[in-house]
Amino acid sequence: MKPATSPASFVLRPVSLWFAGLGRRARLTLAHAGSLGRLSWQIGVAVAQLRVSFRDVLNQFYIMGIQSLPIVLVTGSLAGIVTSQQGGYQMTSVVPTYVLGSLVVETVVLEMGPVLTAIVLVGRVGARITAELGTMVVSEQIDAYHSLGRDPVALLAAPRVLAGVIVMPLLVGIANFIGIIAGMVAAYVDVGLGYESFLYGARLFWHSWDLFYSFTKALVFGLAIPLISVHMGLLTRGGAEGVGRTTTQAVMFMTLTILILDALFPPLMLQ
Amino acid sequence: MIHYRNIHKSLDLPVLSGVDLQVENGEMFALFGPSGTGKSVLLKTTIGLITPDRGDVEIDGVSVYYGGKEALAAVRCKVGYVFQNAALFDSFNVFDNTAMGIPEKELKGLSRSETARRVWRALELVNLEPTEVMEKLPSELSGGMRKRVGIARAIVGRPKILLWDEPTTGLDPVNTAAVERLITRLSGELEVTSLLVTHDIEGGLDICDRVAMLDGGRLRFCGTPDEFRASADHVVQAFVDRAAAEAALDMIAQAND
Repeated sequence: MKPATSPASFVLRPVSLWFAGLGRRARLTLAHAGSLGRLSWQIGVAVAQLRVSFRDVLNQFYIMGIQSLPIVLVTGSLAGIVTSQQGGYQMTSVVPTYVLGSLVVETVVLEMGPVLTAIVLVGRVGARITAELGTMVVSEQIDAYHSLGRDPVALLAAPRVLAGVIVMPLLVGIANFIGIIAGMVAAYVDVGLGYESFLYGARLFWHSWDLFYSFTKALVFGLAIPLISVHMGLLTRGGAEGVGRTTTQAVMFMTLTILILDALFPPLMLQ
Repeated sequence: MIHYRNIHKSLDLPVLSGVDLQVENGEMFALFGPSGTGKSVLLKTTIGLITPDRGDVEIDGVSVYYGGKEALAAVRCKVGYVFQNAALFDSFNVFDNTAMGIPEKELKGLSRSETARRVWRALELVNLEPTEVMEKLPSELSGGMRKRVGIARAIVGRPKILLWDEPTTGLDPVNTAAVERLITRLSGELEVTSLLVTHDIEGGLDICDRVAMLDGGRLRFCGTPDEFRASADHVVQAFVDRAAAEAALDMIAQAND
């Protein structure tokens, strides 16, 4: 009889286990992608059929937008200040200081405004949505919607995604504006760059496309965050522990997605 | 009439393995069985909350799984489902929670006052004082009151069938007896078919016309309460004895508290 641990099986077993694990992960990833695509389609259909309550969208708009405003103002200001301080430090006696205006505006509009706002919304809004819907799943509230003939996608998912898509560009616009103002003040305080010189530098390298780029990013992030958080929330299983686990996974997933999408934007739109 | 035909369902492990069961119109029917044997899963397959791997459910001759979306929607309008922990919507007050039980199409045709009248009547039927509870959120209600609101939501749509998923779980003996009386009274007054999943064997045997027992995902017994009590099947007997012992221990624990 062939021994159970022959040299061949000693080598092949870990390899086959590795491939099995890889297969499982690939299947899981595809299943996630499939159900995310299905959810997107269902949301699209609910919106197209006007089955989404305007009041619910408004309510989500308030929660996502108005309530996020203070933290967005703080992060936007700090982004502008830090960029200005770092730029001022590196440019001292190397390039004309008015270039700092361009550096701050471009950095804030192209990168810091959209990405930092998105990261803030992942923590403040995305985690909240996942935990909220996850709790509704484990307490059978989603089943209750189905049993009463109501569609939880139209009632819960679509208003959140719609509100995210509307809110995010507005928040990014505000973050950009406040970041530029804060950067301008910081440039004056740190390196003594006057407002007119700052704005001269800003205009020198400005392209209107940059603003379009910033708002396109905001729109995509505004779609991705609620979509992923709703998707993960509805997949929750296993009581309070499951809600905690899914919320953590959702935050990781959303953060990674934001950073990956952010890396895809320059080759697609800044060439 | 509810007809379960050869229901199979696996959730990692097999839960239901070929269950055939028929609940007649106007009947009060209890489903017993040890924990994890698939009672709640079977109940959820009735209105498509869990899709069986194989088999079908028919309600008044309409297939839940092969009749399409329209048939499922029609079936859900006919059925009121009482969830184990009431499953009230956290952000809605009692009025809105209860009003959600009225089918969407019907609700659109009702004026605010007509809706309020329906909700008021449903809350009165479950022995709640509407003026006291209407504006309250679920978090402001006791466990027993939440169950009653859950029942009110299930009956406000005037269903023909009521599905009860362990309606007395987590309640003290006084509330358990009150909910059991409520189930009997509502089933009679509303002339509905009731299918009850419960761990409370004595309560179920007292109020139901017929009972069934699931064991290991299969139907072990189906008959009248008297036949159940007199069953020679050692598994049924062991289950009845264990349930009686657990009930006695519960009563002692309650008395000590």
